[in-house]
Amino acid sequence: MGRLRAALEDFGRMLLFAVETVAWLFRPPFRPELVLAQMAAIGVGSTFIVATTGTFAGMVLALQFQYAMGQLGADGYVGGSVAVALSRELAPVFTALMIIGRSGSAISTELGTMRVTEQIDAMETMAVSPIQYLVAPRLVASLMMFPVLTMLFNVLGFGGAYLMGIYVSAIPPGPFIAHTRELVVPGDILHGLAKSLVFGAAVAVITCWRGFSASGGAKGVGDGTTRAVVMSSISVLVMDYAFTLVSVGGGR
Amino acid sequence: MIQIDDLWKSFGDHEVLKGVTAHIDKGTTFVVLGGSGSGKTVLMKHVIGLLKPDRGTVRVNGIEIDKLEGRELTEARRMFGMVFQGAALFDSMNVFDNVAFPLRERKRGMPADEVRARVIDKLKVVDLGEDVLTKFPAELSGGMRKRVSLARALVSEPQVVLYDEPTTGLDPITTDYVDDMIVSAKERLGVTSMVISHDIASAFKVADRLAVLYDGRIAAQGTPDEVRASTHPFVQRFLSLWFKKQ
Repeated sequence: MGRLRAALEDFGRMLLFAVETVAWLFRPPFRPELVLAQMAAIGVGSTFIVATTGTFAGMVLALQFQYAMGQLGADGYVGGSVAVALSRELAPVFTALMIIGRSGSAISTELGTMRVTEQIDAMETMAVSPIQYLVAPRLVASLMMFPVLTMLFNVLGFGGAYLMGIYVSAIPPGPFIAHTRELVVPGDILHGLAKSLVFGAAVAVITCWRGFSASGGAKGVGDGTTRAVVMSSISVLVMDYAFTLVSVGGGR
Repeated sequence: MIQIDDLWKSFGDHEVLKGVTAHIDKGTTFVVLGGSGSGKTVLMKHVIGLLKPDRGTVRVNGIEIDKLEGRELTEARRMFGMVFQGAALFDSMNVFDNVAFPLRERKRGMPADEVRARVIDKLKVVDLGEDVLTKFPAELSGGMRKRVSLARALVSEPQVVLYDEPTTGLDPITTDYVDDMIVSAKERLGVTSMVISHDIASAFKVADRLAVLYDGRIAAQGTPDEVRASTHPFVQRFLSLWFKKQ
């Protein structure tokens, strides 16, 4: 009971932290240079891992779909099926999980170290809001880079599927492309991008909060980072389920 | 300048401050002495509004710091500079950016030339040259980090400088040097200083007035001579260990 109460209190404090961060977004001074630096750290820094994951996810999906659909004589639908799966589900979720592993953990560790070495306190004593200086740029950068990286995942994933479908599984390119155009509608891509925006906001808030609330030296920072990664990953999967449930319930 | 009246603070069931009262005059150095866990850092964090008291008030220049929130508190903090125990330099920034940080953030729009001139000037106050400007905190010794931290605290010309255990972990020569810097900052810049420490030698060297904190209460307060003459058992034991060594 005590642990549940502590968890709920922590969750409540995190929500207040998120509200405060949003409030600081609209107050001067604005620091675009910090947003750009975070876009480079979160976005550019995660490009390789997202590109690699996207390409291989698309390749594996194409092989699996071809194995299943080939038995029904529906090989031509492999490209479209992969594209729908990528754009609606796999791209936003995999991208978010990759960014959590690469950049989310780094955010939590960096802010946690700043907390336990009193750098965040120092910033406050210099009349600078650490939430505005440290958290707000990370939130904005995440909101911008999660959809961009999700699109990258989509494009390279489909490219990987095309390579496998055409050159390994010997599916004719004509039906592969034609059925993809037939199956994928712009709404599928927008659905995935909307998810990625929500995931970006959640991951930024959770990882920054776990860093900000770290205490007790190196172990505290390590524990905070572990909790940040676990909590962000689970949140992404739960939110994905909720998002999908709502959208499927309302029809595509 | 700083008035702390009947300050109480608990963390859970643990009472850390139990009615602390202290007054610090403008342009003087006030040292709070005490053992580990006596509540010294907690007291200092109340002065700059990093913690809120359960009861009691903290006034700085007549402003009730404990009642302020958000932007008002941020504005009030412009009066302060603070030197942290571990220096608390931003490890992602070099020395120049660390010292320039308060100027760039508090006085946005200040020309880059002026920022540079002020940074170099304050580094000179703490006896550091331009050769350290591009170094990162990880490349500096403990004593140099403390000096850069003091330069950062002084660069925006605050009215009050708070020192959290400024000599902890330093060798005797560097300790002596840091003590001189505290005295020099007061004399040259006229700042009001509050130092918390368990270093008795340093405390007696830099203090105009002293307070000994014990079990969340002020056990003795006054000039160094008055505190030394205190009959409080803890104060006698605390000071005698050091005076015996002398």
